[in-house]
Amino acid sequence: MVTGGAAGLGLAIASHLQSRGARVHVLDKDADALGRLPAGISGQPADVTQPEQVRAAVAAIGESAGGVDILVNNAGWIHSEPLVNLLESSGGSHDPDRFRRCLEANLVSAFLVGSVVAEQMVRKRKKGVIINVSSVSAEGNPGQTAYAAAKAGVNAMTVVWAKELGRMGIRCNAVAPGFINTESTRKALAPAALERLRDLCPLRRLGEPSEVAHAVALLVENDFANGAILPLDGGLTI
Amino acid sequence: MNPAAPDPGPRLRRILAGVFRTPEPSLRGSLKREDLGNWDSLKQMDLVHSLETEYGVVLEIEDIVAMTSVGEIARVLQAKGVKIED
Repeated sequence: MVTGGAAGLGLAIASHLQSRGARVHVLDKDADALGRLPAGISGQPADVTQPEQVRAAVAAIGESAGGVDILVNNAGWIHSEPLVNLLESSGGSHDPDRFRRCLEANLVSAFLVGSVVAEQMVRKRKKGVIINVSSVSAEGNPGQTAYAAAKAGVNAMTVVWAKELGRMGIRCNAVAPGFINTESTRKALAPAALERLRDLCPLRRLGEPSEVAHAVALLVENDFANGAILPLDGGLTI
Repeated sequence: MNPAAPDPGPRLRRILAGVFRTPEPSLRGSLKREDLGNWDSLKQMDLVHSLETEYGVVLEIEDIVAMTSVGEIARVLQAKGVKIED
C-alpha cells in the first residue's frame, strides 16, 4: 500500500514495487489522478489525515487482499515558509494554521496509517515492512520550519517503530530524499532556489523519482534493514 | 494467591524466565503482571512471539489480552492443547 501513490513520487514508488512483483494498492485524495493509474495498480480515494478513512481503507485491503504486507507512507505536503518573514508587508511570523496543516499532512498521516497497518500486521502475524518517506529537510532546512519538524518527527517515529515492532518481525525504515525532480518540488521552491540547491549538491543535479523508488525497494527487500533512515540526496547533506 | 492458577512446568518456566529476565523459581501461577516491574506491552509482544515460536500455536487477541498472570498464560496454552506440566 502506497499513500499518496497516484502521482509523482508516490506513483514512481508504486510502479517500481509493482515491477518487483508486488500487488500494489494506492490511497490518494486526488480522484482524477486515481483515474489515471496504470494498469495493474489499484487505488481508492482516501484522506490519510482522517482516522476513519484510514481505518476503512486498511480494512478494505484486509478483506480484498488479506492485509497489507508493505506500507509506504509517502503522502505529504512540501511547505516552505520562514519563521519570520520580513518581506511580507505585515512582517508576520509563520502562520500557525499552516504549521498544523503541514504536521497533519506529513507526520500525523504517517502515524495514522502506520498505526492502523501495524495493528493489522500484529493481529495477523504478518512479517511486514513499513517505509516512511522522510526528507533531508529533517536536518533543519531554513525556510521550512513546519516541514522540517514534521519530517524529523517521521524519522523519530521510524526508529521507535523499528524498536517496538521488530520483535514481531515487522521492520520499519525511512528514505530521506533530497531535492527530487517532481512537480511537488517545483511547486514548493522557486526556480532560482532550485538552481542554487542543484549547485550545492555534489552531483550537481536533482534526484529522479525512480531513484527514490529504487531505494524504497531496497529497504523493503533487505530483511536485515530495520530502523534505517537512508539519505538519498546526491551527497547534499555530507 | 489464587489456588486455581496452574503453575507452569519447566519448559514454560524457562520460556518465561527468558522473556521477563526473572529467575525461574519465582514464576509461579499466582505471579501477576503487576508483580513484575518489566511486564509492559512490549514484553507482551516478546511473550507472544516466544510462545508461538516455542509451541507452534497462534494466539488470538483475546488470548493475548487474557494473559495477565503466569497462571493465565498457562490456562491459555492449556486451552490450545499445550501440556504445561512438561
